[in-house]
Amino acid sequence: MIRILDIAFKDLLQLSRDFKTFMFLLIMPILFTFLFGYAFGGFGGNESDSRVPVGYISLDDNWVTDELHDLLDKSEVIRLDENIFRSTSDLEKLVADGELAAAIIVPDGYGRAVLKDKTIRLTVLADTGTQAWTTIEAEILTAASRVDGAVRTAAIMEQFELEGVPFDYAFDEMLAAWEEPPIAIKETSSLVIEEGGENNALAHTSPGMMLQFAIAGLLTAAQVIVTERKSRTLQRLLTTATRRIHIVLGHFLAIFLLIFTQFIILIIFGQFALQVNYLRLPSATLLVAFTAALCISAMGLLIGILARTEEQAITFSLVPMFVFSGLGGAWVPLEFTGKTFQTIGHISPVAWGMDGFENIVARGLGFESVLIPCAALAGYAIVFFILAVWRLNAAEEK
Amino acid sequence: MNNSAAIEVLGLKKSFGENHAVQGVSFNVNQGEIFSLLGPNGAGKTTTISMLSCLLRPNDGDANIMGHSISTDPMGVKSVLGVVPQDLALYEDLTARENLSFWGKMYGLRGSTLKTRVDEVLNVIGLRDRANERVGKYSGGMKRRVNIGVALLHKPKVIYMDEPTVGIDPQSRRNILDSVVLLKNEGMTVLYTTHYMEEAQELSDHIGIMDHGKLIAHGTHDELVKMVGQQTRIDLTLNGNADQVMAAWKETEGVSRVTSDEGLISVLVQDSNLTLPHLFEAATKHSARITSVNISEPNLEAVFLHLTGRALRD
Repeated sequence: MIRILDIAFKDLLQLSRDFKTFMFLLIMPILFTFLFGYAFGGFGGNESDSRVPVGYISLDDNWVTDELHDLLDKSEVIRLDENIFRSTSDLEKLVADGELAAAIIVPDGYGRAVLKDKTIRLTVLADTGTQAWTTIEAEILTAASRVDGAVRTAAIMEQFELEGVPFDYAFDEMLAAWEEPPIAIKETSSLVIEEGGENNALAHTSPGMMLQFAIAGLLTAAQVIVTERKSRTLQRLLTTATRRIHIVLGHFLAIFLLIFTQFIILIIFGQFALQVNYLRLPSATLLVAFTAALCISAMGLLIGILARTEEQAITFSLVPMFVFSGLGGAWVPLEFTGKTFQTIGHISPVAWGMDGFENIVARGLGFESVLIPCAALAGYAIVFFILAVWRLNAAEEK
Repeated sequence: MNNSAAIEVLGLKKSFGENHAVQGVSFNVNQGEIFSLLGPNGAGKTTTISMLSCLLRPNDGDANIMGHSISTDPMGVKSVLGVVPQDLALYEDLTARENLSFWGKMYGLRGSTLKTRVDEVLNVIGLRDRANERVGKYSGGMKRRVNIGVALLHKPKVIYMDEPTVGIDPQSRRNILDSVVLLKNEGMTVLYTTHYMEEAQELSDHIGIMDHGKLIAHGTHDELVKMVGQQTRIDLTLNGNADQVMAAWKETEGVSRVTSDEGLISVLVQDSNLTLPHLFEAATKHSARITSVNISEPNLEAVFLHLTGRALRD
């Protein structure tokens, strides 16, 4: 058994002397986390607002409409995305493209109609099949009801001609009385994070880049195994009293330690430099990192054994890096895609890793929420490891 | 099993598809002796060594190494074995000391024993002063020495050396040949493969000659040389019609065989002093001119030529 540690230590010694290791394992993921985080609005300004973006155009010029706008603007759930140059068709396109979760168009005469107790409808553009729609709909209805209710109450009070209770005063009082509504909406979907919580863009890009570059790190780890076979040191190892399974486990342990250490460093970096709250549930974060490292290490072992040349090792590492990362939502959250793509995406172990990390840092879920993703990652690890051992036996034991 | 045999090979066979690399090879190597497998490239030497190292499974046959069967007790075989592979099987990004330490651990050495053996081996291979340099920066000869040193770490009872002098300078080659003799003096049994006749001749107690996967002869140097009847080989080059001259030489008294390889004609004769004038005479008769002559006393090259009709370098 101690030979496993000897082989792992030797591999780590070799890797520590290769600058590429540090490039792929630490420098690149940190750089790309910043790059993607910036691209997704992870740094500074309104772009860091975590509320659901909803377009807003008012064709009406009335103080009641202004009150509706102010209520919507103060929402903790939706963020009004206003641009005076946008037309109704622009909003339709933005909603269709998924850049806005919905859009509200206030028709001309809306304010006057409300004051005269006439029926008039707000136009709302949205994909009603999404999880976010229910929340948006409820928030708009609440705001519209508040305005409508306040107008009606004020009108009734004015009708009774109560002394010292003019319409404007009564309206303001009615509206203010709704400051603490009987039902408060609290979003729990992945699109919105809790108030005062993490930066949503970085909460996605940090684990995404961590997982992507953990796979990229296999480039160097797999090359150690390829070089060992090419230089005939593997054959020489097999002439010693070292068992084949010890050699495999030794390499696996080295890659695992390397990637797990990478995760720990990047988690600490994410927590303290990027304010991504990995330590909200330290045990869950560790469990996800552990199983993800197991899975990626087994993949690295398989790549090292499958590749016959260093060029193949590079190809076999880069292809899964791009395919698994893209498919698994490391670049763009799977929530932004359709259900079919989300299902396909979960073929990639990266998707399970993302689920695990995002359940902790973005969705604010509990320890039990990482158990299924971790089980999936462990399952992948077992499959990759068995394939690696089988291929090594098939290749060497003629 | 023969009690004095360190290596007992019993009808080993190995095929790769239609390529029958080793076809029923059998021989014994006594404890404490050097046995050379001599043969051209592709003769099956490395495949034989690979089977005896438990790297390849034989299709048929077996071998016992210090009483351990390669088929049923490969771990037992590996525990008594040191292997010097033909390729440089070293980690080039580790230093010589780190390489030796790692391989020592793989051979089961630990702690102070490991440290002592690493230092001893560094002395033996003459690299103690440069032990902390990465192997990748070494010359080919130095790498070869480390490659051998690795196999000596655990003081194996049997050591295989697969063409350890390929592609190195004469000085390093000399060092390696001297170290093989030292191993024998320390009581190790050495199985040495080479396609250099001089190495086999200089080092070996017994020699096996392999060709096309078969062991075509084996014995001591003298026993093998006797097989060609103490004949002398005369290598000649000439200007003129070689075919006519060779035909004439074949009819010359005292000549047993005439072969040609890329302009070099080899003639096996009983007595070179008597026959050489007749060879010149026959050449002159066919208007050819002998431009060089080299006379070789009976050796392994002649044995190989005698057995296969081809020169060993083929």
